Amino acid sequence: MTDATQAPLGASAPGGAPSARAARPAIGEFAFAAVCAALGVYAIVGAGFIRVPPGSASVLGPRVFPYAVGVLLVAASVAVIVQVARGHRGVPDDGEDIDPDAPTDWLTVAKLIGCFLTQLVLIEWAGWPVAVMVLFGGAAWSLGAKRWWVALLIGLGLGLATQLVFGVWLGLSLPAGPLLEWIPIFNG
Amino acid sequence: MDSLNALLEGFATALAPQYLLYALFGVFIGTAVGVLPGIGPAMTVALLLPLTYSLDPTGALIVFAGIYYGGMYGGSTTSILLNTPGESSSIVTALEGNRMAKAGRGAAALATAAIGSFVAGTAATLALTFLAPGIAKLAVQLGPADYFALIVVAFLTVGALLGSSVPRGLVSLGLGLLLGLVGTEVLSGQQRYTFGIASLADGIDVVLIAVGLFALGETLYVASRLRHGSVRVIPVTRGWRNWMTRRDWRRSWRPWLRGTAIGFPIGTIPAGGADVATFLSYATERKLARGNARAEFGRGAIEGVAGPEAANNAAAAGVLVPLLTLGLPTTATAAIIISAFQSYGIRPGPMLFENQSGLVWALIASLYIGNVMLLVLNLPLVGMWVKVLRIPRPYLYAGILAFAGLGAYALHFNVFDTLVLLVIGLVGFLMRRYGYPVAPMVVGGILGPMAEEQLRKAMAISQGDLSYLVHSPFAIIAYSTLAVIVVLGVWLKRRKARLEATAPDPITASLPAWEEVDR
Repeated sequence: MTDATQAPLGASAPGGAPSARAARPAIGEFAFAAVCAALGVYAIVGAGFIRVPPGSASVLGPRVFPYAVGVLLVAASVAVIVQVARGHRGVPDDGEDIDPDAPTDWLTVAKLIGCFLTQLVLIEWAGWPVAVMVLFGGAAWSLGAKRWWVALLIGLGLGLATQLVFGVWLGLSLPAGPLLEWIPIFNG
Repeated sequence: MDSLNALLEGFATALAPQYLLYALFGVFIGTAVGVLPGIGPAMTVALLLPLTYSLDPTGALIVFAGIYYGGMYGGSTTSILLNTPGESSSIVTALEGNRMAKAGRGAAALATAAIGSFVAGTAATLALTFLAPGIAKLAVQLGPADYFALIVVAFLTVGALLGSSVPRGLVSLGLGLLLGLVGTEVLSGQQRYTFGIASLADGIDVVLIAVGLFALGETLYVASRLRHGSVRVIPVTRGWRNWMTRRDWRRSWRPWLRGTAIGFPIGTIPAGGADVATFLSYATERKLARGNARAEFGRGAIEGVAGPEAANNAAAAGVLVPLLTLGLPTTATAAIIISAFQSYGIRPGPMLFENQSGLVWALIASLYIGNVMLLVLNLPLVGMWVKVLRIPRPYLYAGILAFAGLGAYALHFNVFDTLVLLVIGLVGFLMRRYGYPVAPMVVGGILGPMAEEQLRKAMAISQGDLSYLVHSPFAIIAYSTLAVIVVLGVWLKRRKARLEATAPDPITASLPAWEEVDR
C-alpha cells in the first residue's frame, strides 16, 4: 500500500493511488519507537521505586504488573525499530478528509496545539464561553477558514450554547467568566 | 420463556414516552456523528457522560445505546456518498458503495445499507436477547483465572490483529497499559507513576484516553494532511420510495443474512470488532457471486454493500454480549459505556441480569426500538445527513476540538485534565502519523487495571502458583482459542492485503454531477 513519507507526485495522483517509496530516512519513525522504548525502560525503573507495604497479604505485589508492562513495551518497540530498519515502514492512517499525497503540515499542527493550550489559562480566567471562542476561532483560522471573524462569532455562539446546555441545563459547573457572571441565568 | 417475559417488561419500560424521546435523541445524535468524519461514537458517548449526573440509569443507557447503534448507520452514508474512503469499519462498504454512487446507483446503495443494517441489527439483538442470560448464568461460575484468560485473549487479539504489523499493535497496547498503571493501586494503596501530582493519584480517566486519541489525535492528524478544496458529495436523486428495484431486493437479502451470521459471532469474541467482520463478509460475497454480479464486483456490486453493512451492525450488537454478561469491553465505545455503568455504581458482569434485570431488559428493548427509528431516520431523511456531511472542514474540526476540551474539563473541572488530554492527543497524532493502531491503546488503558486485579486475585487464591492460571477447562479453552484466533487473524490479514492489492483502482474520472461546496 502506501508508504510513511509520501513525495507528492508530479501530476496530482487521483484518489490515493500508491506513490513511490520516498528515499527520506525514517527519522521520525525511529524517534517515536525510541521514545516508546524509553517509556518502557522508565516503567521498569519506576516499578522498582513503588513502595511495597511490609507484610502485604497478596502474593503478587504492586510491582509485578508494571514490570511486565515495561518489558512488553520495550520488546515491542525494539521489534518496531528492527522492522523499520529493514524497510518495513508504517502505513499512515487513511481517512475521508486526508489528502494521501500531502506532506505533513507541522505548522498547522503547532498552531492547533497552541490554540488548545489557551484553554489552560482562559477557562478559569476568562470563562468557558470566551475560551471556546478563542479555541474555535483560532482552530478554524489555522485550518483555513476564509473569514476569521465568522469563525470567532460561531465560536462565541458555540461557547454560549454549551454554557447553557451543559452549565445551566445539565448543571456542570463551567465557569461563566467575569464578562457573563452578572447575567442571572449564567450564575447558577 | 423467562427472558421473553423479561423482554416484554423491558418493552413496557422502554416504550414510556420519556424513554422513547431519549432513544430518539440518542439515535439522532449517533447518526449525526456517524456521518461526520473525525468523530466517532466513542467520543460522543464520552462527551455525553455528564448526562449521567441528571438522568436515571435507564434513560442514560438508552441514550448511549442509541448513539452506539446510530454511529454504525451513519458511517455507511459517509462512505457511500463522500468521494473518499471512510473509517475503518465501513471502509469495505466504500469499496463497492462508493462506486455504485458514482455510477448513479447511490440511492440503492444507501437503501441496501440501511435496510441491511436494520435486518442485521434486529436479528443480532434477537440473538443477544436469547444468548445473554444463558452466558451470564455460565459466567457466574468463572473465577479470576478465567477472567484473566479472557482479558489476555482480548489484549492479544486486539493488539496483534489491528494495524499494519504485530509489534506496532503491541506498542500501542503497551502504551495503554502504562496509562492504566498511573494512579493509586487498589489492593495496597500505593501510588504508581504519579510524580507526586495529586490529580494523577486518581488515575487517568478512560474518557481522557478515548477523547484524546479519537477526537484530538484524529483532528491533529487530519489537520496535518487536510484535503483542501471543496467537499465532494455524490448527489442522490430519485425519491426514497423506489430506491431499490425488485432485482436489488433479490440480490440483497441473502448477503444481509450471511453478513449477520458472520458479524454477530465475531462481535461476541474479543477479536478486534467490526473491522474483521466486514472484511470477512465482503470476501464471502465476492467469492459467492455468480454471473453478472461477479463481473460487477470492484465496479459497484450491491452484494458488496449489503453483506458488509449487515456484518458491521451485527458485530456491534455482538459486542454487547461480553459487555453485559462478562463486563468485558472489547471496543472503545463499549469501554466508555462501562464507565457510564460505573458512575451509577453498577458493575456490568454476570450478576447484572440478576440484580439489575429491569435496567438490562429496558436497554435491550430500546435496541429494537432504536433500530426501527434508525431505519426511519436514515431512509427518508438522507438529504439532511448529506447537508451535515458538507459542513466546511475548518469549522467541523474546530468544533471537535472545542467539544474535546469540554469533555476533558467537565471531568473534574480542572485544567490539569485538559493538559493530559493534549498530551494523549499528541501521542495519538504521532501514532496515526507513523502507522500505529490507536484502538489497542484504549483497550489496554481500560482492561489493564482489570487484568491486574484478576491476576492478583488468582495468585492470592493459589498462593503464587502460576499453574493455577490454566487449571480450569475454561481458561485452557480460552488460551487455545487465542492461538487459533491469532494464526487465523494473521492469515486473514495477508489475504486482505492481497485482496486490496488486486482490487482495481477507483474510478476517479470526473463525473459531471458532483455538487461542490466551498470549505
